[in-house]
Amino acid sequence: MTMWIVVVLAGIATFSMRFVFIALFGVIAVPPLLARALRYVAPAVLAAITVPAFVAPGALFDPINAFVPAGILGGLAAWRSKSIGAAFAVGLPALWLINWLV
Amino acid sequence: MTTEGQATWRNGVRDVAPIILGIVPFGLIFGVTAADADIDQLAAWASSFLLFAGVSQLAIVEVLGSDGIAITALLTAVVLNSRHLMYSADMGCYTADEPLRTKIGIAYLLTDQAYLVSTSRFGDPDNSDGLTSFYFGAALTLWGTWQITTTAGLLVGNFIPKSWELGFAIPLTFLALLILAVKSKPGLVAAVVGGSVAVATIGLPLGLGLICGAAAGVGAGLISEKRFA
Repeated sequence: MTMWIVVVLAGIATFSMRFVFIALFGVIAVPPLLARALRYVAPAVLAAITVPAFVAPGALFDPINAFVPAGILGGLAAWRSKSIGAAFAVGLPALWLINWLV
Repeated sequence: MTTEGQATWRNGVRDVAPIILGIVPFGLIFGVTAADADIDQLAAWASSFLLFAGVSQLAIVEVLGSDGIAITALLTAVVLNSRHLMYSADMGCYTADEPLRTKIGIAYLLTDQAYLVSTSRFGDPDNSDGLTSFYFGAALTLWGTWQITTTAGLLVGNFIPKSWELGFAIPLTFLALLILAVKSKPGLVAAVVGGSVAVATIGLPLGLGLICGAAAGVGAGLISEKRFA
């Protein structure tokens, strides 16, 4: 039952956060500072999710682990090819190889 | 009348296709993790369409599965998803003229990936003909993939060997999305500061480190604009 309550309440909260500004922006103009700030939302949030996932897996700072070199290789592949698929094609086999070697 | 070069839902499906490669293992991982955890399996399955936000779904399963209390699980999910406020504000620039039910549909389907592919394709809200069709093409593809893969993950559960390291697909997905999202020097500053602050505040409860990193990164991007102007 606890799981159901959490899922339903989180669902309502999440939809509200997704909807509020889409609904409001029909009547209110975007403040210029907000419009500028929004350009940095994607890089800032994605980095705040990504970097700890690599250098602090399990919420403990541990910058020397197999994820880091595999991530660097996968990241380079994504950067060169401009594609997410390349990150998998290179990053996952790299992790398998590192785990097999170490 | 459709003008030549105007984006359609097919362009949305096409642009989101490479991201689907990242969503498939992510969805499977969520399902497998949920099947493994000591939680209500049906509620975990329902979270895919009630919440439709993978990172927070995974967080809820982890918190409740490891004897965490309900309020912690809920706050973690809400804090993690507060970034949607910022996506909502940005999408609102493009959808001001749409009818209410279209806005509701756009809001329900709003995800990191749907937001990113759409705003990558349509950089300018004043020149965004076809955005709604494009968006629904991309977002519904993501939604369908998420429902199918999370369901499949829950069903096959324990049959996937741990040695495949499919869990690594989650950080890889976010890393690739990050690399594609950095398009300017202030954007790079936002990413470097956002990532560093998130690591420095990793010990904060409720996933607040993520929010601290995001806020610091946005601020740093704004401040650095002047230097690079």
